[in-house]
Amino acid sequence: MRRFTIIFIFLFCLAGIAWVTVNNKPTPLPFVVPAGWPQPVYDFKKNPVTKEGFELGRKLFYDEKLSKDSTISCASCHQQFGGFATYDHNLSHGYNNSLTTRNAPALQNLAWQKEFMWDGGITHLDLQPLAPLTAANEMGETLDNVIKKISSDTAYKRMFKAAFGPVPINTQKMTMALSQFVLMLVSSNSKYDKVMRGETSFILPEQLGYEIFNLKCSSCHKPPLFTDLSYRNTGLKLDTTLNDLGRMKITRDKNDSLKFKVPSLRNVAVTAPYGHDGRFFSLQNVYENYRNKMVVMANTDTLLQHKILLSNYETGQLTAFLRTLTDTSFLKNPMFAPPGYEVTPFFIHYH
Amino acid sequence: MQSGPANDTSAIFVSLSPANSAMRKIYFTIILVTFTAAAAFKTGPVNKAAVTSIQFKHWVGNKTMVLFDETYTNSFGEPFVISKFRYYISHISFVDVNNKETRLPENYYLINEADSLSKIIQLPATAALQSISFWIGIDSIKNTGAVQTGSLDPANGMFWTWNSGYVFAKLEGLSDSSHAPAHGLTWDVGGFRQKENAVRTITLKLNNPQTSANNTIVVNADVLKWFDAIHPLKIAQSPTCHQPGKLAMQIADNYSNMFSIAP
Repeated sequence: MRRFTIIFIFLFCLAGIAWVTVNNKPTPLPFVVPAGWPQPVYDFKKNPVTKEGFELGRKLFYDEKLSKDSTISCASCHQQFGGFATYDHNLSHGYNNSLTTRNAPALQNLAWQKEFMWDGGITHLDLQPLAPLTAANEMGETLDNVIKKISSDTAYKRMFKAAFGPVPINTQKMTMALSQFVLMLVSSNSKYDKVMRGETSFILPEQLGYEIFNLKCSSCHKPPLFTDLSYRNTGLKLDTTLNDLGRMKITRDKNDSLKFKVPSLRNVAVTAPYGHDGRFFSLQNVYENYRNKMVVMANTDTLLQHKILLSNYETGQLTAFLRTLTDTSFLKNPMFAPPGYEVTPFFIHYH
Repeated sequence: MQSGPANDTSAIFVSLSPANSAMRKIYFTIILVTFTAAAAFKTGPVNKAAVTSIQFKHWVGNKTMVLFDETYTNSFGEPFVISKFRYYISHISFVDVNNKETRLPENYYLINEADSLSKIIQLPATAALQSISFWIGIDSIKNTGAVQTGSLDPANGMFWTWNSGYVFAKLEGLSDSSHAPAHGLTWDVGGFRQKENAVRTITLKLNNPQTSANNTIVVNADVLKWFDAIHPLKIAQSPTCHQPGKLAMQIADNYSNMFSIAP
């Protein structure tokens, strides 16, 4: 009988382990839609955000091992203190001293966006990481190798299992985890938001700037996202070293020549340089373009046919307003820092 | 390897308790009976349905396709070496001799010259067939949705990451006639949007209708058709196709004529 008792205990333990494994579900992480904002376009039902998935995405986002020579992570060009754009670089830096042809866009409020990149060539948030991972002038790695590297890492194995259960690690699960992290990058708590919620008020220059903004900027930089997510030609001449035709590269339609996505102005004070190729080093450069230097072409936006009339006083007031869009609770949120840190340590900033 | 699975199983029990040989025999018998019963049940009436397979065979004119080592010549006299030959087959349907049409459930097959197993697709036919039909390409829903798995995993190298969408078919290699860097021949064909749709539907009638459903239908694919079936496309003029558009659609028109049923 002893034999049967032992077998019984063995089977009981096995059942216990199975029960624990099955019931070890990830903890949901609520995605909060700020009051008065539209509903997000990302389908959370297909990829519900969980604490485990978010933490996995965060690790992937900050992991340089994902690049060909283990020197570049997503965070190399998307730095938290720079609104998840690149501080100080006009063009992003990539694998083996290469340069990309564009300025890294700020990552925020991505759940409301259907298309990604300056030209909108990528049609789903989950598909987005595939481009920088594989581009020769970005992280330069093959997807096959990325999956191999993370599949042979015990920490990743544990984290993938915690987030998605005992299923194979593949491209889909990796990109779902990255999406979970970047989806949570919601910036909705700037001084502007507090004023709108009636918690505080603008000082005079901010208020004057807000009124100018509403008159001259807000039809494209539409609140609350501060972009209408459209593609427009704003009279930026072609840079012949980059030959970037923007949206036309995707649609192959001449009418889309030199059209680029309207960037959000949230956290704009910390995301310099500006423009799809970072050609403007300061807000003053941007104003100067709109009121003077821009070239009105055949397909330049109808709203810009006569450029934008802006006095020196107005540019100062606009700057005061745009600074109210800086959201320090977002830029310093420890949840978004590299795993194990509360702020990004200086040695992570070497790109 | 002397120890079979049966020995391994009994070893577990041995380690739990030092059983005598009589007990081990009983366990062994129980296990054996269980497995035999399970196996007998599995091969019972369930598996009686016949299997029709489609097998793709790749040709360059009348020569069997060989990657890397052979230099071929197209009808314009241009030499080329093939390094990659892949295409997606989807939306398969077939009509049997009783005029019954069957559509396969959603499935996407990546046919890859370098992977012989990828070149066989099994069809759940219950009678002999008179025709088969399939797409080369991927529908727009899968092109624009989230990241897919299996044959559609972007890691298979058949996805344009910078302009979301699948490469439906790929012919890559080298050619002395190519003026592209490193004399490359890279024809990556895709495009699902209106005016740029490179999805093509292929219907093949079986010349000698099969007599039974247990059959392998050999579908020949001749890569020379990529160059000249409808539009004359010279390597010297168009060595590279990297995006949807006119050239991609012309190549698709051409390769949609590459299939035939082996006599």
